[in-house]
Amino acid sequence: MNVWVWGAGSSAFGKQPAESTASLVRLAVLEALRDAEVDQVDAVYVGTCFGEPGVAQRTLHRLGIAGLPITVLENACASSTHAFHEACAALEAGRHRQVLVVGVEHLTSRFTGALPVERRDHEGRAGLGLPALYAMSAAHYQDLFGLTDAELAAVSVKNHAHGVHNDRAQHRRAVTAEEVLASRMIADPLTLLQCCAISDGAAAVVVGDRRRGARDVPVLATAFGTGAAWGHDSPRVWGFDLVAQTAARAYQAAGVGIGDVDVLEVHDAFTIGEIVTLEALGMAPEGAGGRLALDGHTVLGGPQPVNPSGGLLSRGHPLGATGVAQIFEIVRQLRGQAGPRQVAGARIGLVETMGGGAGGVDGNACVVCLLGA
Amino acid sequence: MSGDRGLPPLPDSRPLIVPDSAGLALAGWRCRDCAAPLALDGPWCPRCRGPLDTERFPLRGTVWASTILRVPLPGRPAPTALAYVDLDGGPRLLGHLAGPPAERLRAGTRVRGAGLSEHGDPLFEAIPEEAR
Repeated sequence: MNVWVWGAGSSAFGKQPAESTASLVRLAVLEALRDAEVDQVDAVYVGTCFGEPGVAQRTLHRLGIAGLPITVLENACASSTHAFHEACAALEAGRHRQVLVVGVEHLTSRFTGALPVERRDHEGRAGLGLPALYAMSAAHYQDLFGLTDAELAAVSVKNHAHGVHNDRAQHRRAVTAEEVLASRMIADPLTLLQCCAISDGAAAVVVGDRRRGARDVPVLATAFGTGAAWGHDSPRVWGFDLVAQTAARAYQAAGVGIGDVDVLEVHDAFTIGEIVTLEALGMAPEGAGGRLALDGHTVLGGPQPVNPSGGLLSRGHPLGATGVAQIFEIVRQLRGQAGPRQVAGARIGLVETMGGGAGGVDGNACVVCLLGA
Repeated sequence: MSGDRGLPPLPDSRPLIVPDSAGLALAGWRCRDCAAPLALDGPWCPRCRGPLDTERFPLRGTVWASTILRVPLPGRPAPTALAYVDLDGGPRLLGHLAGPPAERLRAGTRVRGAGLSEHGDPLFEAIPEEAR
């Protein structure tokens, strides 16, 4: 792919009711532009889920970014990773030379607790909330594969430990497995510390074609897919097949496999999400992903660290901002700028974001990106 | 369930549960070509585009997964016991578990319909061993 990430920026993530979407976007975009050493772009792609109408234009015109193509995309949690995918495709097609990608979400102004599944959809109308949707995947894994509470907790322990070193993260506190399992039960078997928090934030990257300078990070491939039907004849938990199929296309396009990947940022909205995703990415056989965190494979210092940023569990999960925040982290990692959470010698990084929630489909959308040498 | 204050009530988009000779049944559809069972209406089979015939699926099946949601949602006080149930020969249906929410049912548990909840959701209960 002839696309490079020129620069990346991010606001702090967390409950920030006093901040507007505009102020969060401004922080992220200014950092991304400075990091890319540019002050203008040709086009903007924005990902936001519950976003305010006109959020991009209202924010960016004050930065002198106006009168250019602005495209806003929604695909649940994968909204801004999808925006990144579309920006890369537009660059490949020669439509632009340098493009700004923004992810933004202000959840504290929209929700106070667990996110319901859209209440006009049949499952949301029947009382399904997102914690329950993921909890039923976890319960299914416990019943079929013997996934243990300790294996679930290990994901939370790992990602909270990683997040301690991330100055943008919402939760910068390490937790023990005992604390994770003793925290309030949200949806059996998922406890509070296994669920990402309501959060506000924005992240931005500038992508463009090849230019002189070694700091730019090559985009090897991006793949995007939406979920097929999921129901009575789907033996796997929702999202598994969509991640696996999307990843397969990304691996093929990039000419790499999971064994080549040094560092990953994946969708751990709930602990079970990381376990299922890593299996679908090919890191472990189906039903065996629970061992990865517990055995240290995915811990910083292990063979393939996952979510060194702290992931959604620690960094926080402002839906539309998450995808670009994941890319921000991988860019920092591949440039060797991640400080105390640096994955030594990281050359190839993977970003995976899963957006879900529509009843009857195998996830709304998934994006898998491979970046690096 | 009504909508938020000042907003019209939510449309009821749930699968239709109707009285049946054996209690309650899902009023669904089956594809004439690929035989896929469906809980939701559509102009044709969403899998193969084949024509649909109506079919009643008794509320009897096997738990695919279940959980107790212990936090409230808008219009839904906690806790609630939820389950995906694969109806015998029918579609996978989201329902609630009858009785006070206590423990989730394991995947593979045989269940049967137990009426409708106060919110109009299908309720399921485990089938006792002797009745299987």
